[in-house]
Amino acid sequence: MSSTTSGTGRRETLTRRLLRAGFADLTRSSSLWADDALQQRLRPDDGESLLQALGATADPDLALLQLVRLAAAPGAGDRMDSLLAADASTPAGLTRARLLAVLGASSALGDEIVRRPELLDVLADEEPSTGADPAQVRAEMLRAVGADPAAEVPVAAADPTPGTDETPSWADTDARTATDALRRAYRARLLRIAATDLTAADPLVVLPGVAAALSDLASAALEGALAVARAQLPDHGAGVRLAVIGMGKTGGRELNYVSDVDVVYVCEPALASDGTPAMEESAAMRVGTQLASRLQKVCAGTSVEPSLWEVDAALRPEGKNGPLVRSLESHLAYYERWAETWEFQALLKARHVAGDVELGAAYRDAVDPFVWAAVNRDHFVEDAQAMRRRVEQNVPVAESDRQIKLGKGGLRDVEFTVQLLQLVHGRAAEGIRAANTFAALDALAHAGFVGREHAARMGECYRFLRSLEHRVQLFRLRRTHLLPTSEEDLRRLARSLGMRGQGADDLMRRWRDTRREVRALHEAVFYRPLLPAWAQLSDDELSLAPDAARARFAAVGYRDPDGAMRHVVALTEGTSRRAALQRQLLPVMLGWFAEGADPDAGLLAFRKLSESLGATPWYLRLLRDSGNAAYHLAHLLASSRYLADALARSPESVQWLADTSRLEPRGPERLAAEADAVLTRSEDPGPAATKLRALRRRELARTGAGEVLGVLDPVRAQAAISDAADMVLLGGMRVAQYSARSEMGLGPDPAANPTRMLVVAMGRLGGREMGYGSDADVMFVHDPVPGADTKQAQDFALRTARTLQKMLSAVGPEPNLPVDADLRPEGRQGPLVRTFDSYAEYYERWIDVWEQQALLRARPVAGALGGDADLARRFTEMVARYRYPAGGLAEPASREVRRIKARVEAERLPRGADPTRHLKLGRGGVSDVEWAVQLLQLQHAHEVPALRVTETVAALDAAEAAGLLDELDAEWLREGWVLASRLRSALVLWSGKVGGPRGDVLPADAWALSGLANLLGDVGTGGELEELYLRTSRRARTVMERVVYGEE
Amino acid sequence: MDRQQEFVLRTVEERDIRFIRLWFTDVLGVLKSVAVAPAELEQAFIEGIGFDGSSIEGLTRVYEADMIAKPDPTTFQVLPWRGERHGTGRMFCDILTPEGEPSLADSRNVLKRQLAKASDKGFTFYTHPEVEFYLFNQMSAADQPLVPVDNGGYFDHLARGSTHDFRRAAITMLESMGISVEFSHHEAGPGQNEIDLRYADALTTADNLMTFRTVVKEVALEQGVFASFMPKPLADKPGSGMHTHMSLFEEDHNAFHEPGAQFELSKTGRQFIAGLLVHAGEITAVTNQHVNSYKRLWGGAEAPSYICWGHNNRSALVRVPMYKPGKGNSSRVEYRALDSAANPYLAFAVLLAAGLKGIEEGYDLPEATEDDVWELTGSERRALGIAPLPDSLDEAVELMESSELVAETLGEHVFDYVLRNKRNEWDAYRAQVTPYELQTSLQFL
Repeated sequence: MSSTTSGTGRRETLTRRLLRAGFADLTRSSSLWADDALQQRLRPDDGESLLQALGATADPDLALLQLVRLAAAPGAGDRMDSLLAADASTPAGLTRARLLAVLGASSALGDEIVRRPELLDVLADEEPSTGADPAQVRAEMLRAVGADPAAEVPVAAADPTPGTDETPSWADTDARTATDALRRAYRARLLRIAATDLTAADPLVVLPGVAAALSDLASAALEGALAVARAQLPDHGAGVRLAVIGMGKTGGRELNYVSDVDVVYVCEPALASDGTPAMEESAAMRVGTQLASRLQKVCAGTSVEPSLWEVDAALRPEGKNGPLVRSLESHLAYYERWAETWEFQALLKARHVAGDVELGAAYRDAVDPFVWAAVNRDHFVEDAQAMRRRVEQNVPVAESDRQIKLGKGGLRDVEFTVQLLQLVHGRAAEGIRAANTFAALDALAHAGFVGREHAARMGECYRFLRSLEHRVQLFRLRRTHLLPTSEEDLRRLARSLGMRGQGADDLMRRWRDTRREVRALHEAVFYRPLLPAWAQLSDDELSLAPDAARARFAAVGYRDPDGAMRHVVALTEGTSRRAALQRQLLPVMLGWFAEGADPDAGLLAFRKLSESLGATPWYLRLLRDSGNAAYHLAHLLASSRYLADALARSPESVQWLADTSRLEPRGPERLAAEADAVLTRSEDPGPAATKLRALRRRELARTGAGEVLGVLDPVRAQAAISDAADMVLLGGMRVAQYSARSEMGLGPDPAANPTRMLVVAMGRLGGREMGYGSDADVMFVHDPVPGADTKQAQDFALRTARTLQKMLSAVGPEPNLPVDADLRPEGRQGPLVRTFDSYAEYYERWIDVWEQQALLRARPVAGALGGDADLARRFTEMVARYRYPAGGLAEPASREVRRIKARVEAERLPRGADPTRHLKLGRGGVSDVEWAVQLLQLQHAHEVPALRVTETVAALDAAEAAGLLDELDAEWLREGWVLASRLRSALVLWSGKVGGPRGDVLPADAWALSGLANLLGDVGTGGELEELYLRTSRRARTVMERVVYGEE
Repeated sequence: MDRQQEFVLRTVEERDIRFIRLWFTDVLGVLKSVAVAPAELEQAFIEGIGFDGSSIEGLTRVYEADMIAKPDPTTFQVLPWRGERHGTGRMFCDILTPEGEPSLADSRNVLKRQLAKASDKGFTFYTHPEVEFYLFNQMSAADQPLVPVDNGGYFDHLARGSTHDFRRAAITMLESMGISVEFSHHEAGPGQNEIDLRYADALTTADNLMTFRTVVKEVALEQGVFASFMPKPLADKPGSGMHTHMSLFEEDHNAFHEPGAQFELSKTGRQFIAGLLVHAGEITAVTNQHVNSYKRLWGGAEAPSYICWGHNNRSALVRVPMYKPGKGNSSRVEYRALDSAANPYLAFAVLLAAGLKGIEEGYDLPEATEDDVWELTGSERRALGIAPLPDSLDEAVELMESSELVAETLGEHVFDYVLRNKRNEWDAYRAQVTPYELQTSLQFL
């Protein structure tokens, strides 16, 4: 041991002794050690013992510096001599240990001792500060301001007249005002608590005691401050009862060293001897307000002594806008009518801390029923989710790595979990209604709402995080919840928590591990007990009784708790490996389903998927090993019926969910290659068509998942859906030509085709703007090869087109793609296919302005998979002069466009449909915007080349860039079109239904609206979505009317 | 069941009340009432009373006709004209959708939403309306000429004047329903009266106005006359307006008051007025919602036809009344276009929205107008930048149609409904051939 080195053998150098004791800055410490003020008081033999004692502190360098300052301080004198000379095991030695522990861990308290060396007497008191009787602490603070602790309404003594040497009526004569006397007494007591805390063998063990002692001290200080406030009023506020209710950590009796003290004030007129109020209520409120604001000033106002903390009354009814004090009845009236869910959660912690005891108790009794009925309020589920998000979000990015209190896995997270469980089960189980987090956790475990093991681990995490916070705050006595960054500060922190050997890195590691564990524990604590008893992982695990499980399912948003319980049973039943994996997975998944719009549907879909895939080796393994895959799957299943069906049909797509890059569209080339491989294996029309359609189905699912998970924006999603349609059309064309050749006996070689064929995409397909339920609008063009028999060529082309239509439109096992050729010349009366020359001739002689307009979106489909690139080029060139007419659109033609538009509006809207809600044909819907854009294209594409595109948004951008639309008009059209398009897609994704009379109508029922809002993700609640659509479409309509009808 | 609700149930029991009328207001500002028996009241508090909203103006879209009226127990009153024994009580209702959400079509909810927005900025909105109306002798048929009950003028005290009795009876009844009256006097027109309601927060005032109209009509009936809030019943006499004083409070401090400033009017107050002026045109279809309203606005007799403000200028649209030294909390601005036939919920909502917009955007307030704007020539007004209010419902609707402010305040549903309804009103009016036309043209053409 080190004592040997001081006496015998080779004397070590001072530097080495300091180093061994744990000092960091050796040069500075050497000179401090040699300081006269210290050495004069030190007998030669005491040195080593003192050095060892210093080395035991969190920051020996700091402790030594403060000790030297203290030794030199006037008034430290005699007290120091005995301390420095002390033997470690004597009472004086223990006092020294307490002193040094404080000096090494808190520069602020050290400074206080240097300033007021008489505080050394406080440290000499051996009685531990934790576990002290709150009444005694209260008496101590009241006596400090000259008030009588036994009085029913204690009033402080008056301050001595300023400028005189009148002696104050309290003991601490250095304080010239009651405010300062209170603050000095508070600090002395705070020092006592810090000393106990810092010399504890294990800081985590004493933490609840320390937090309780700090709360009792704060309550006592509030009592003292109230006595001072009363003393400042002429008649001491007689006739007014004021109760101070502690909220938050003060209320929970779990305060930390420095934080705002949350309170609410309740005020009533006192009763006169005849039982009537001593004064009018309004007068009482005025006096109460004065008392409360003076109380706050005593605690936090400017004075000689530093302030204690802010007294924060923001949790009162109406928050900062509400009156500072209210009567009990006024509180209750507010809670009955106006309060929001989080306010009831806050009330959970309400506890009388100072002032009128009876009134405080009456308040607690009266608010209690509100707290325990909160879970039955409308919107409890949404409110609770919103509160949770607030817990997770409100952290600035720069601080997220250092925040102890907020953020995922922080203190607030633990508190939230505990409080939510209390709110959910506290109605039925009175035993768990504790305001204190530790007590509540114990009670929850005891009452069987949380597994014992989990409760213990959660408590452990919470103690660690709180200890960390305490130590950080102690250093400068500042209100902070941030870990320091410097190595030096982190080292002190680690040492002050008893992690002497490990240092800063280990501290940070432990901190991160703890946060992660808190996250995991939330799921485990909340959802794991929802599994039936036999499905628990170990005997320690807990399973909720049916009523409690039902309450918990309902509280997170399951509408059919019994159904949910059945699914859980089915999924976890049995002894198979599958069931075992499900038992691990399910608690987390249950939480994720609850975040979606339809948790019940999510769970049911998951059960179905698991039943069909359970035996597949990779499925559950993937979900277990990839948190991403499991999370994404839960989100999709609980928000989209379409994707739930799609995933059930191509289960292999679950694998994409582990890695969102696999949700990126494959692109036309890769799709073509894949289709090509399929067709090379088989050109037999039946099976080949089915395979192509299966490919498209898979791509729709991929796109849908990508869109819902935010990988794809809506415009890219539409392009991906259109690419998939191109792929089936081209592939289908190959198959159809193959079958036409065999029907006509032309042999298998494509070179024998008598004519070249082209599919021209029209409408939304042409604009690459398809939705999940869009038809494919097309025209068929062919061009006989030189020398071919024209009749045979026409026959071949017609057969091909018919086969293609039939192949893709027919109902079958894979989703169909109806192929619609109604936009061809002469519409349904015209021939299904025409030669290139026939198109050219028809357009030359007969073209109507509506056909010109339709041609704006004509896009010949050609690519690696097929399509005649040369014919495509010629067709594009041929139609250019019609769709981009030279000199724009003549006035009669423009008028005709307007007339058709007006007629279409009147006729095409389905009977009984509400025009403000029809997404396609309604007011400001998709069609309105497209007409506006297309008219601009017809009028200006000849002079603005950028307008010569088939995509609506691209044309809109070009029109804006060319100054044809001002910025705001363009913005309104774009917003209208994008939102309506997104809603049309979302409707399919949400309902799982393609088409149908409701397919293009914004639903009116709140349930569907909130489902859509949840899917879109960035549009607020269902109600807000409805309002948003009505607004956006109204604006789009205004612009359309201006552009198309020329209305101002 | 909260304490307020229990209080109502107890009162109903103790006072042996046989019917409770549940009141709400349709989008046009017409009071609707459904009566429930005491036995149904408890259920009404818990779940509300279902009714078919499709037959109520502006309440629902056809395909979701079911609505729920949920009584607000704090508005419970016993109706005094129904007699002491076996009385009738009434409560105002919030309209909810079947899912329990506040209905987008409920005008009370429109005002509540706007008040909440003000509250987010720390403001409480107070209003104090001066309601004018006419009393006429009962008519036996609709085509008889209107005969006012007296020939008094402004502030006239008529000996044994029936309107004096009338006002006393009306005020007694209002006070017995908890509605404080500030002031009442004979107005300028024959048979015309004014009763001012004590200032209160805007929701209370709007509720009170709905009660007020009913009380006035009831009292008139009792006295054998009838009361009308029509904005301009007599072509050559002054119309009935509802000048409304408005103020914003931050906690208990009047946000319009600033000692030492011009007219003791704070920056907030100036911006609020600027907001009213900038948006005056587009909110007029709400504040003056009938074809007839424009006959008052443009019929002279101190009606404000031009958009300007002034200190104590009775020709201005917005007036800052003379302040009383030392009464800082009484600072307020008076909006003079509003008429007695407006839907008070919607009208207060758009006025507040316009004022708040001025504060948000920090609008500059133009110079106060000291001149009598009616005396100015058209070019003078143009030179001073004084624009007119819309001169017809048609023009007002057109201005409202392109107003983002009104759309946002009313919500898209009510906005759309009001526009459609007002367009229909205008179309129907335009289709009329009036006695005036027959008189002036029939013989000569």
